[in-house]
Amino acid sequence: MMISLLMAGLMLSGAFAWYRESKKEDSARGIVLLALIAAAIVFIFHIMNSEHDFSNLIIITQHAWIDIFNIEYALALDNLSIMLLLLTFLLALVALLISWREIRHRKGFYYFNLMATITGIIGVFTAVDMFLFFFFWEVMLLPMTALIAIWGHENRHFAAIKFFIFTQVSSLLMLVALISMAYLHQQQTGRLSFFYPDWLALTLPATTGYYLMLGFFIAFAVKLPSFPVHSWLPDAHTQAPTAGSVLLAGVLLKTGAYGLIRFVITLFPQASIEFSPIAAMLGLVSILYGAKMAFAQTDFKRLVAYSSISHMGFVMLALFSFNHNAYNGAVITLLAHGLSSAALFALAGMIYARVHSRDLADMGGFWRSAPLMGGFTLAFVAAAFGLPSLANFIGEFLSLVGSYQRFPVITIFAALGIIGSAVYGMMLFQSAFQGPVKNTFIDLSIREIIISSSLLTALLVIGLYPNLVLQFSFKGVM
Amino acid sequence: MELSTFIALTPQLVLATGTVFALILIAWQRSQQLLALFTQGILLLALIASIASLGDGQSMVTILLKVDDYSRYAFILVLIASLVVVQLSKTMLRRDIEVHDEYYVLLLLVALGAGVLVASDHFASLFLGFELLSIALVGLVGYLRSTAYAVETSFKYLILSATASSFMLLGIAFIYAQTGQLSFSGLAGITNAANVSDTGVLGQSLLYQLGFILFFSGIAFKLSLVPFHFWTPDVYQGSPTPITLLLATVSKVAMFVVLLKCCFNAAQIDVFQQSALADVIASIAILSMIVGNTLALKQSSIKRLLGYSSIAHMGYLLIVLMVSTTGGINFAWQSVLFYLSAYLLATISLFTVLALFEAGNPIEHRLGSDIKIDDWQGMFWQKPMLASLIIIAILSLAGIPLTAGFIGKFYLISFASQQQLWGLLVSLIIGSGIALAYYLPIIFSLFRESNKESAADAAVNTQTLTWSTLSFNQLFVVVLTILGLGLGLFPNSLSQLIASLSL
Repeated sequence: MMISLLMAGLMLSGAFAWYRESKKEDSARGIVLLALIAAAIVFIFHIMNSEHDFSNLIIITQHAWIDIFNIEYALALDNLSIMLLLLTFLLALVALLISWREIRHRKGFYYFNLMATITGIIGVFTAVDMFLFFFFWEVMLLPMTALIAIWGHENRHFAAIKFFIFTQVSSLLMLVALISMAYLHQQQTGRLSFFYPDWLALTLPATTGYYLMLGFFIAFAVKLPSFPVHSWLPDAHTQAPTAGSVLLAGVLLKTGAYGLIRFVITLFPQASIEFSPIAAMLGLVSILYGAKMAFAQTDFKRLVAYSSISHMGFVMLALFSFNHNAYNGAVITLLAHGLSSAALFALAGMIYARVHSRDLADMGGFWRSAPLMGGFTLAFVAAAFGLPSLANFIGEFLSLVGSYQRFPVITIFAALGIIGSAVYGMMLFQSAFQGPVKNTFIDLSIREIIISSSLLTALLVIGLYPNLVLQFSFKGVM
Repeated sequence: MELSTFIALTPQLVLATGTVFALILIAWQRSQQLLALFTQGILLLALIASIASLGDGQSMVTILLKVDDYSRYAFILVLIASLVVVQLSKTMLRRDIEVHDEYYVLLLLVALGAGVLVASDHFASLFLGFELLSIALVGLVGYLRSTAYAVETSFKYLILSATASSFMLLGIAFIYAQTGQLSFSGLAGITNAANVSDTGVLGQSLLYQLGFILFFSGIAFKLSLVPFHFWTPDVYQGSPTPITLLLATVSKVAMFVVLLKCCFNAAQIDVFQQSALADVIASIAILSMIVGNTLALKQSSIKRLLGYSSIAHMGYLLIVLMVSTTGGINFAWQSVLFYLSAYLLATISLFTVLALFEAGNPIEHRLGSDIKIDDWQGMFWQKPMLASLIIIAILSLAGIPLTAGFIGKFYLISFASQQQLWGLLVSLIIGSGIALAYYLPIIFSLFRESNKESAADAAVNTQTLTWSTLSFNQLFVVVLTILGLGLGLFPNSLSQLIASLSL
């Protein structure tokens, strides 16, 4: 019930903010900020005071919804979803603070869309009725597309349409798979069911299972994104407003990984093992290809976008290694990448606000005028290429250790990706902050320092004391 | 005939007598307002009669007509759409000096034709309904004769629907030659096919297959399925907006329902299984989905675009003809009726906005104007209510969650996965993907900041559209918005209602 109320509250506060903005200029962001903080606090208290330990999936709400298909409104939580929800709240706050001054027109509607996206994401991480999951999966897509299409950069419509079509077509495949799954359940038990725990009890025929798994896999691979279906990502990230990029990179990509963990691997263990060499190869190609492409970019945001493809490749590789360490590594990589790429996008936004360009050729020598910004950038770039003591290192290290046991050759090549990330990371930092001075501007404001330092703190904490996350012992399917 | 058969046929009889009385009314007093009110009254009466009799089960009315719950439900959809058409027509014709009596009479005849079609159980009544519908529509599509496309539109529609009906007649003749049956129930009863063809299997009789294909192509003309779709965009664009709505809803719903009534029986399903007919229909469905959506991509006129998108939607719907067992028939009906309801709602919403938008234009441009996507630019910031309705309707057509259209698509995909029609599913997915590429730009254009000129235009529009004169329409817009969202979020009541219907 709690989560439903939270979602309703966020949605309503978004609508209220929209309404207030039309009455009083600049009132929306305050309302939304308060609502988000309140929601986060309520959520944390609720989890801390709960009698469950959430190591297994705990159903928290279940109501009949569409009787004719036995569809229910059912939500559940476990450690994985709680962790991702916390990440969502943190990045939502970051996204909001980033938008504080960046958004100049149609503010009310902007904050409404932001809240709607966040509500949809919370729904995705908690829904356990598959129809409901699909519903939220699409609902988070709509306002996100609006964010890109209305407040994005010069080529925003194209990027928004591409983003939407990629996700929509792949998720229709998932829809077909999940409907077939429900009918399979009907064949076996005589009752149509979209309820996730029911599905766990099914025994799947090998070939059918394989095809159904593919249906889910493609949808999540697009969102992750993985190599052949990644091309929406650089466009969407580059064209989105900063807050949009932060949410996209920080949370939306994680819904793809979440889907792989929760549905693909858990529901279809046999088929996934059969499929794992291909998935691992896709992961490897994503790692190397993403790194190579990132190196070739001259656009700050595009570079970070391609680096996301590379980092998510590690997650894919680790998840399909079916190994405890690799699995933990994947989860930490998710959190770490969520924080570090969000931070880099936020920095891109801060630079854009000052020099009105994303092109690295227009940048240079920023260190001279903005050492604080430079320091943070260096730290986040270092996080991205896996400097020990920052969270990404733990994640990638565990992923590689784990996957080495199953795919030694692939893992050796995947490790090269880390070198690649150091190369493009340093190139990014070097061309923006060193060299001849092209611009001088004011260093970070207090608001921006709060954003950057909170993200850096989170990265450091997880990096220095990973047990904070690992103690929840993600059991997964192992 | 017994009294009970009359009672079963009440809605159609109300319309028929209403049409006659409308003629008398015209002779008595030529007042457009009075006649419009009278038409609405008749339609409303028929609607109430239909709703009241929903759930009464099936009853034969002579051998020509069979009224069952599905046909009652379809007729309800037809009547609702006709009521909206009358309302929009009133707005459109209000300021014209001429008295448009025949317009409303023709409207009633279209509704009556659709009423006969949805209830027909015999090729004769099918043909009767078909012609009643077509001929009345020919009069209507070219009704505003001073507009640019009037002659082209009605001529095109006349020639093509005459061709379609002659195809259909020939097909019916072939079917009769092979089976000796003209009634659908009779055809369904052909279990022993010994005297039917050389091999004794109806599905292997070439003449029967040819007959069926000819018959089907007649219907396909009306449903504008590929390759019989060429008239659609032109006629959609050239007709007065309310009439385009009539074409898009009443005519399509009625034709589709009668097609199902003819095909959904054991004998016909067997024929599909035994012959290549299933492949023919499947390829028409696939072609319609792909071609319809692809051609819609580059359109700038909204009516043309909707014309092309309707081709694709009929293609999606055609999936249900692929039912392979009699057990699947009920679910197929449910899918069709839900999908049609959602499609109807979305189409009505869009055309309502189109008609209101036209009514806001200056008088000299009002009749026969062609609204482009760019004309809607920036609408969200000026008229949020209308724009929200457009967004919901477009999302519904695109089949995105939150809207009724998604539930409709969910029904179709469920049906197709149940019947394991993977090829059709793949083309449905591809079609939906292509469709997004033209649906989304419409939505984006609503959000785009309008340039100065159109902003000034919009100011004029809002003045003529002062809501006090259009308060009823305003209310209607709100109701449509709520319905569109409500059926998407809580489809339970409608799906339960449809599930409770039976043949």
